[in-house]
Amino acid sequence: MSMTASRMLVRDWRGGELGILVAALVLAVAMVSGISAFTTRLQNALEQESHRFLAADRVVRASTVMPEQWLAEARTQGLQTAQTLTFPSMVFAGDEAMYLASIKAVTDDYPLRGDLTSSREPFGAAELAAQGPAPGTVWLDSRLFPLLDVSMGDSVGIGDAEFTVVAAARTEPDQGTSFLGYGPRVLMHFSDIPKTNVVQPGSRVQYRQLYAGDEPSVARFVTWLEPQLEDRHRLLDVNQGQPGLGNALNRAESFLLLAGSLGVVLAGVAIALAARRFSERHTDYVAIMKSLGATSGSINWLYGRSLLLLGATATALGCLAGWGMQSVFFVMFADQMPVQPAPSGMRPYLIGAATSMTCLLCFAWPPIRRLSLASPLRVLRRDMPDENRRTLTDYGVGLVAVSLLMWWYSGDWQLTAAVLAGLAATVTLGLVLALTLLRGGRLVGMSAGSIWRLALAGLQRRGTANALQVVIFAMAIMLLLVLVLVRTSLIDEWQTQLPPDTPNHFMLNIAPEEVQAVDQVLRTENINSEALYPMIRGRIMSVNADELPKTSDQEEGRRQREVNFTWSDTLPSGNELLDGQWWAPESTEALVSLEREFAERLQVGVGDEIGLMIGSAPLSVRVASIRELDWQSFQPNFFMVFPPQFLSAYPATFMTSFHLDASQKVFLNSFIRDFPTVTVIEMDVVVEQVRSIVEQVSGAIELVLAVIIAAGSLVLVSGVQASVDARMHESAILRALGARRGLILGGLFIEFAALGLFAGFLATVAAELSVYILQVWVMEFNYSPSPAVWPLGIGAGVVLISALGVYSCRKVVSSPPLSVLREL
Amino acid sequence: MAGGELEILKGINLEIKSGEAVAIIGASGSGKSTLLGLLAGLDEASEGRVVIGDTDLAELDEDGRAVFRAREVGFVFQSFQLLPALTALENVMLPLEMQGNKDARQQAEHFLDRVGLGERVDHYPRQMSGGEQQRVAIARAFAAKPRILFADEPTGNLDTATGDRIEELLFELNREEGTTLVLVTHDLQLASRCERQLTLEAGEMVAS
Repeated sequence: MSMTASRMLVRDWRGGELGILVAALVLAVAMVSGISAFTTRLQNALEQESHRFLAADRVVRASTVMPEQWLAEARTQGLQTAQTLTFPSMVFAGDEAMYLASIKAVTDDYPLRGDLTSSREPFGAAELAAQGPAPGTVWLDSRLFPLLDVSMGDSVGIGDAEFTVVAAARTEPDQGTSFLGYGPRVLMHFSDIPKTNVVQPGSRVQYRQLYAGDEPSVARFVTWLEPQLEDRHRLLDVNQGQPGLGNALNRAESFLLLAGSLGVVLAGVAIALAARRFSERHTDYVAIMKSLGATSGSINWLYGRSLLLLGATATALGCLAGWGMQSVFFVMFADQMPVQPAPSGMRPYLIGAATSMTCLLCFAWPPIRRLSLASPLRVLRRDMPDENRRTLTDYGVGLVAVSLLMWWYSGDWQLTAAVLAGLAATVTLGLVLALTLLRGGRLVGMSAGSIWRLALAGLQRRGTANALQVVIFAMAIMLLLVLVLVRTSLIDEWQTQLPPDTPNHFMLNIAPEEVQAVDQVLRTENINSEALYPMIRGRIMSVNADELPKTSDQEEGRRQREVNFTWSDTLPSGNELLDGQWWAPESTEALVSLEREFAERLQVGVGDEIGLMIGSAPLSVRVASIRELDWQSFQPNFFMVFPPQFLSAYPATFMTSFHLDASQKVFLNSFIRDFPTVTVIEMDVVVEQVRSIVEQVSGAIELVLAVIIAAGSLVLVSGVQASVDARMHESAILRALGARRGLILGGLFIEFAALGLFAGFLATVAAELSVYILQVWVMEFNYSPSPAVWPLGIGAGVVLISALGVYSCRKVVSSPPLSVLREL
Repeated sequence: MAGGELEILKGINLEIKSGEAVAIIGASGSGKSTLLGLLAGLDEASEGRVVIGDTDLAELDEDGRAVFRAREVGFVFQSFQLLPALTALENVMLPLEMQGNKDARQQAEHFLDRVGLGERVDHYPRQMSGGEQQRVAIARAFAAKPRILFADEPTGNLDTATGDRIEELLFELNREEGTTLVLVTHDLQLASRCERQLTLEAGEMVAS
């Protein structure tokens, strides 16, 4: 047969049969490739973002000088390098003023990733700096200006050297969020270190070598470097650099994957429905072609090629649409993006293409393949039985294909299982309920006596077809409900996590006698703050009478270390008790509660004894409980908590966190002057970063939701379309016999509304089940039933399906019956 | 022919010569269409044989019969059986394309011209009257140069005047092309234009 597949497609396109099939395919590919490209790029962006927190791609950290040779080798291998040195030192100004600062010396190339900012005035507008201070100059933390009473251009001393103050140091990418900083920052040039004479062997210093480059080169260099690292060196990569957005983003990713998977299911159903209608409508064509001499093989070949051609075209269009979708998003949010995301590569589009081909093969091909079985005798006898009935195998193949696609796409079997459970519940419940209700009572004919009897008769007459339709509608509505529910709880969760007044500043070192005054000042300035937590600095000496190694060279594992202690009668808010028990109020026992990771590092559990030193006083405590902290809460968190009575004898300082708007920041100037010993840590930049990322991700989720709703609507449209022919035919006959417009439309409305009601009800039940599984198992939320979803689900079912149904059949009352009958 | 308990055709023994025009007449339900389906290789007989030329249709499977139909057989149906998504020209080209004919378009245009629809080649079936649609079907049947043309109530869906014109066209082309014609009808006037009439009654041949 020489008729080319493309010509047949063009002819079929004109016949209007292919529209929904193509739309479903394009949408499936667009959704899968778009969402996948979007998550890949977002992940790339976040990874770059986390590199920012390191100021490099890899960092080696040590408390002693590291070989220059490493840097030389890195440069030979094409990497960029930089060095920093951080140490505490007094900064002097004039004759009297001095302050303990955290000095950071940096080379010219610092930072390799992320931005360094400075301002011309203390607390002024931060500007991007091309590089750090030139030799002979320093940048001071804004609050050092009032503390040292210096202005721009003045001189300050560090050790034996004098420096000119040229800028206020604002942010460094790797400034970190640790409270163990020594005080306000002073940035100087790396080459100025020797002339200060403050860095001596044994000084508390931290050297860092920074490396950056393309990932393969970095990996090659790390392979070379690793064998040479000793215990005192620590290699840092992104995983250690990120201060914790982790959970929120993981959930967002799960959501996007879930959405994508649901998209695949919806598109698969739409494709199956469209293909079925396509093949039903083509049965007569095939019979004619066979009567004219076409063989089964040539019919298969023709339709197979058409399908392949269609798939290729739809895949190309879908990839283009997917690419466009994620591009639009990144353009829309470009100014909020911390970094420009790298392109996603080809993988998302390959996934899209594979999805399209799988959908075609598993959903579209079976009914179309059976076209070749159509008997040529149909040209003589239109009443020949339709060979093209969907078989159980078809449904089986479809189900397996959908499960595999979802699993492949999400890489998460729990998520796949949750959705499948919902779908299975819909199908089973749907068929049972629909068949029982719709087939109840004796079968009646057309029953054109009244609107209600007409509708009821219609429902019963097409019982099986209607049951199937209810299931399909219910599936589409259920998937949409699941997505809406999960999205709502996700965004709610984020909003509670990052309310507008999230603390963005910390205050440390508040002396007991200052507590009241500080509290007073915060109140007068209308600044919301957390409670004031006592803080005692102590040292861990031994575990179960085993003295720990003293060395500070070794970063990991068990060693003596300085820790901040606090006390509390109650479990601090946002903490979760994992093991052991909280002590009774007023307890005087020597107990301690440890943070989980900290306990793991010390290798201790409930019941172990820990030897401590506060000042010069040794004391011993027993581990009473292990807690999990929410490190993303931006509230004061402590590794070690004691009963208040137990620590009350030791001198403590206090700390708190509070929220300060950008406009209120000038307040810090006067505050620091009034309370020179209090340390203020500014976290507003970090909080803003977290907030902007969460906003972007929320935006992405809304966009994806919109796309999935489009897919769901397509399924509803194809579901209605599938039954329109039969209904139109009957209605046209009734119309020919003189039925009023109101009777026909009313009957159709009631029939479709009833289907919508069943579908909505089923969808809601199944959605609750699915969301329960998803929230409890996959997203690890607390499940709570959502009463609001019941009216939403059922209402959406009735309104959408009756509107779509009546709209699709409207022609039957607007055109002469004969032309309707002739077209069918 | 026995189909389960229902025998539709029985004891039919019939020979049609090349170039002959034969009418099969009978009332509704007498088995005319079934016989036509068997003769044209659209259906399989449960017993007996249909031999056309040197080909025994009973020895062919459905695909084999399809190839045979493409090569040897043309159809004109009561309900026209045009593909609605194709234009008149494309409908006529279809069997030619299936034969792999390189000049499909020219031949199709020639036959459309011959049936008087040269000006309407780009029209779709729904834009044509019943008579016009049947003329397209006739053009399609003859364009493939079949050895045998089977016509199933070719004028059954048409008014008398249009039916007469279609009848005229059918016999005229049949003469010109030297095709063997097997025509099924209950219209005795139409049947009388054939050289031989076979009458079916309840599945049996009662007169020839």
